[in-house]
Amino acid sequence: MASLSPPAGRRLLSPSPGTARRKVVNRLMEAIATIAAVLAVGVLFLIVIDVAIKGLPAINLDFLTHNPVPFGQTGGGIADSIVGSAILIALATLLSVPVAILIAIYTSEFASPRASGAIRFALDLLNGVPTIVTGVFVFGLLVVGGQQSGWAGAIALGIVELPIVARAAQEVLDLVPRSLREAGLALGLRRWRIVLRIVLPTAAGGLITGAVLGVARVAGETAPLLLTSSIWSDLSITVNPAQAMPNIPVKIFELSESPSPSDHAQGWAAALVLILFVLVASVIARAAQERSRRRMRG
Amino acid sequence: MSGRPPHDHRSLPTEREPTTASKDPDTDERLDLDALSELGDGTGHTVSVEDLSAYYGDNRAVAGVTLTFRANEVTAIIGPSGCGKSTLVRCINRMHEEVPGARVQGRVLLDDEDVYAPGVDVTAVRRAIGMVFQRPNPFPTMSIFDNVAAGLRLAGVRGETLRERVHRALRAVGLWSEVKDRLDRPGIGLSGGQQQRLCIARTIAVEPEVILMDEPCSALDPIATLKVEELIDELKSRYTIVIVTHNMQQAGRVADSTVFMLDGSVVEHAPTQQIFTNPRDERTERYVTGKFG
Repeated sequence: MASLSPPAGRRLLSPSPGTARRKVVNRLMEAIATIAAVLAVGVLFLIVIDVAIKGLPAINLDFLTHNPVPFGQTGGGIADSIVGSAILIALATLLSVPVAILIAIYTSEFASPRASGAIRFALDLLNGVPTIVTGVFVFGLLVVGGQQSGWAGAIALGIVELPIVARAAQEVLDLVPRSLREAGLALGLRRWRIVLRIVLPTAAGGLITGAVLGVARVAGETAPLLLTSSIWSDLSITVNPAQAMPNIPVKIFELSESPSPSDHAQGWAAALVLILFVLVASVIARAAQERSRRRMRG
Repeated sequence: MSGRPPHDHRSLPTEREPTTASKDPDTDERLDLDALSELGDGTGHTVSVEDLSAYYGDNRAVAGVTLTFRANEVTAIIGPSGCGKSTLVRCINRMHEEVPGARVQGRVLLDDEDVYAPGVDVTAVRRAIGMVFQRPNPFPTMSIFDNVAAGLRLAGVRGETLRERVHRALRAVGLWSEVKDRLDRPGIGLSGGQQQRLCIARTIAVEPEVILMDEPCSALDPIATLKVEELIDELKSRYTIVIVTHNMQQAGRVADSTVFMLDGSVVEHAPTQQIFTNPRDERTERYVTGKFG
């Protein structure tokens, strides 16, 4: 058995052989891990800064408040796309969030563990469906034989948004302690009352966060809209979802295809608007998530 | 109601001086026995368990238990971990069946009605048989007032009646003077002992006949424990109480009779004094003298 006392001639606290080499390896691994982390964050910064540099020159109040000008002219803005996007996102959210929350309530309160697991898996699969496929699906369902519409676009976006909000809602409902439900049951309350008045209010913060995450995601989805809401003739604000509605992602695509450099500049500016919106929404969602997690632990 | 200012739920316009009150030596909080005497319907209710078995899947946790819990008495159930005492108690208010895969055989009678009879409304059973849990579990999104009112409100009680019953419950558990000025503050802002008394107030606000307590003091400090035990002693004048405890000294302090359980069966059920000083069964003797458990 090796003796634990230092070999003759060495002091008690002097380093053992190989320490120097181990220290170097340690530092190297630390450096590699740090570089990887910096790279990941760096890419994000690069994208944002690049878009900002190219897009800022074209951003002004006119850009945000005026409609596009007819082909060939310069100037104008993306007001119609901003409004159109807002309406599409709002409709998609109105369609998907209630359904998502109901799904989450079902899996956390009423379903058997097996059914619950199957539904979670199905939602994860839905989350992984390429959005172009979702777009084609809704196209075949609602646009073929008719025309594009804001409704079709909203439904396509809603299908993309649903699994995000549902999974987030499931996570947060599972975090509500079982003891709260038991307290409600022991008082002689019915299941639905317990869900509505005790479980949902307790989970409210996290549910809102999930909805914001869903919004952040679909705000920039292009493929679903490419087939359902990409051909609009009006150069003014549209609020009727029965027609195709202008929207920012498709507009960026259009502007980038145009030969005119001023259109390109507007394209960068629109990209900047979009990425800022998504960033801000994500930050808000993350902050709200932290707060509600802290409150539920405390 | 002439001459009285409009009610708001934060305070009663006039507060009677309790004519009979027991004083808690640590604060001048008084357990309001008058408030307590207004609760309940005045008659005692017996709970009997007949050949009760409870299962988690194939695992039998309670094996053919037959017991009677006498009206207006405190019965303690003691025994080592895993002996089935919590499961037994959860069968009484039909909480056991909420666990997936759990089932119950046998009868549980409240006076002469079987709570497991087909056609019985399980929520009515739970309103008549209340439960206090080991860890205080006030509803975090509700104020103190709303917590106590929860069982009432979500069963349709409103307005003046609601306010009176909430105030009465808070006075009966001795929380009134501590919370009367902050009834709209969150329930989780209270200390552990206060939270547990809040949960007891919430339970008695729906005016059950029986109160089940599953180790109600194990998460509390000794002073809070003493307050809750004193409350239990007062509550038995109005309710039948069953308390599960792993603390034998507590059983000795609060219980009129004690049940000793082992491996899902009842070994002995006798007046508390007898269980601790002169038990009939050798296993009981070994448990209460600390030789195992």
